[in-house]
Amino acid sequence: MRQDRETRAALLAVAEPDELIELADRLLAVAGPGAVRVLVAPETGCVSTQVREPVRSERFLLGDVLATHAEVGLDGHQGWAMRLGDDRAAVLAAAVCDAAAEASPAAAAEVGALCHRVERRLAARDAAEWARLAPTVVEFEELT
Amino acid sequence: MGYSGARGGLAAILAAEDLVRSARDRGPQPWAGTEQILARFRLAVDRVMGEAGLYHEATAADAFRQAEGDPLEAAHLVRAHRSTLPRIAVSEPVDPDEMTVLRRIVPAHRTPDGPQLLGRTSDYTGRRLERPDGPPDPPAGGLPANGSATPARTAAQRHPRRFSALLRQADLLVDHPADRDDEPFDIIRRPARPGAPRSAVLASMARAETGALVGLWYRSVLGPDGHIHEVTLGEVRHGRLPLRVRHPHTDAPVTIGEFRVTETEAIEDLDEADEDRTRFDLGYGLCLGHNERKAIAMANLDIACRRFGRDGPLEQLLLLTTDGLDSGGFLEHLKLPHYVTFRSMVERKQAMREQREVAAQPTEPLGRDCR
Repeated sequence: MRQDRETRAALLAVAEPDELIELADRLLAVAGPGAVRVLVAPETGCVSTQVREPVRSERFLLGDVLATHAEVGLDGHQGWAMRLGDDRAAVLAAAVCDAAAEASPAAAAEVGALCHRVERRLAARDAAEWARLAPTVVEFEELT
Repeated sequence: MGYSGARGGLAAILAAEDLVRSARDRGPQPWAGTEQILARFRLAVDRVMGEAGLYHEATAADAFRQAEGDPLEAAHLVRAHRSTLPRIAVSEPVDPDEMTVLRRIVPAHRTPDGPQLLGRTSDYTGRRLERPDGPPDPPAGGLPANGSATPARTAAQRHPRRFSALLRQADLLVDHPADRDDEPFDIIRRPARPGAPRSAVLASMARAETGALVGLWYRSVLGPDGHIHEVTLGEVRHGRLPLRVRHPHTDAPVTIGEFRVTETEAIEDLDEADEDRTRFDLGYGLCLGHNERKAIAMANLDIACRRFGRDGPLEQLLLLTTDGLDSGGFLEHLKLPHYVTFRSMVERKQAMREQREVAAQPTEPLGRDCR
């Protein structure tokens, strides 16, 4: 099943750097030398984070979150990625994966497989987290 | 070094810095790596992120190590670093109701919607100092289960409905319909001064120095300004929120990751003559990382500031005195050489004394004509 572009970007944003770089290297090897152009070199900066608070529905700026973004062109298709943190190699690899998935169905299948692995890992992490948290649910007794 | 009419001293400054570096970095103890600091000093790292106004755990951990464990100095380092970074995006408005709670307590009600989830805390444990000789033994029975035996987390457990929603449903909350959707005040681009909108006050508190905010809150509770606060906490939450930006090609929101925050809602009993005494009002607190003291103080000060901020000193104190870099920086600068300014003060004193001595000398006798 083909993923929409936002879901793919979201999963590539939380994939492990090693798996991203390994896949991007493989996709680049298939695409051939010189197929990729870096349109926006990886740049680390701040995402100014606005929050709509629930009391009066007003927006305010909570602070900045460190993130890195990059953009590449591959066979006439553009790939974009933004990830939290400052790992430039990982974000460039994610942009390559995004562009490759846009450019070719075979690459899209490989990128999709990586995204599914990431999705499953997140679900397992979430279940493990809840297993640790659930025993701390409490109902205090009321002394009346 | 050049400051206030003094300069030089470079060799001594370098030698002093080397004392810091050699003791901190080249001592006989093992190096405190970033991962080590993140694992062992989570709350300190979170405090640094919040007071610096930049969420990145590894950066805050490195600053904490460089600052030898001084959170304010670490926040200073992170803010200085952040000032070198471009702003690459403004997020889509984050909806706090999307938080995946890792801890959530409702002190106002025993059985609210969703769980009372204690999470990772020692709030209910006696404060007894532990001084182990080495790392503790692993718990009997091995590591915690991997989750296979625990039923999956439900939506209500992940995103419990706010207690304030229950109050609102019972018509017990003052309604604050938003008449407009103003752009939020950006305290990074311009300083917030009294008269600033609430978005500036909230942003200032979110990155305020924790101790300053708690101190100001306590002052407001003790009541030297004559205001009475009877506050109960509706929500105290720690959890993860998704961060979204616009995808540059599709223009649709895309999640680029999650960040942790602490959130508080404070329920205030309204009792002033011009207030609706049949209802409560709410204060809101939200800060980066896990820092409950700060979020609670912030929520209480939000409602205090809305009720009394412009009638007394509270708004001014909040906006002008709670930033750690402002107050700490001014304090620290007092250690720099003030030779010239102080000498001029001494000279003024001496000149005044001379003038007084001249003035004390006998004047012309009365009645003598000047022709």
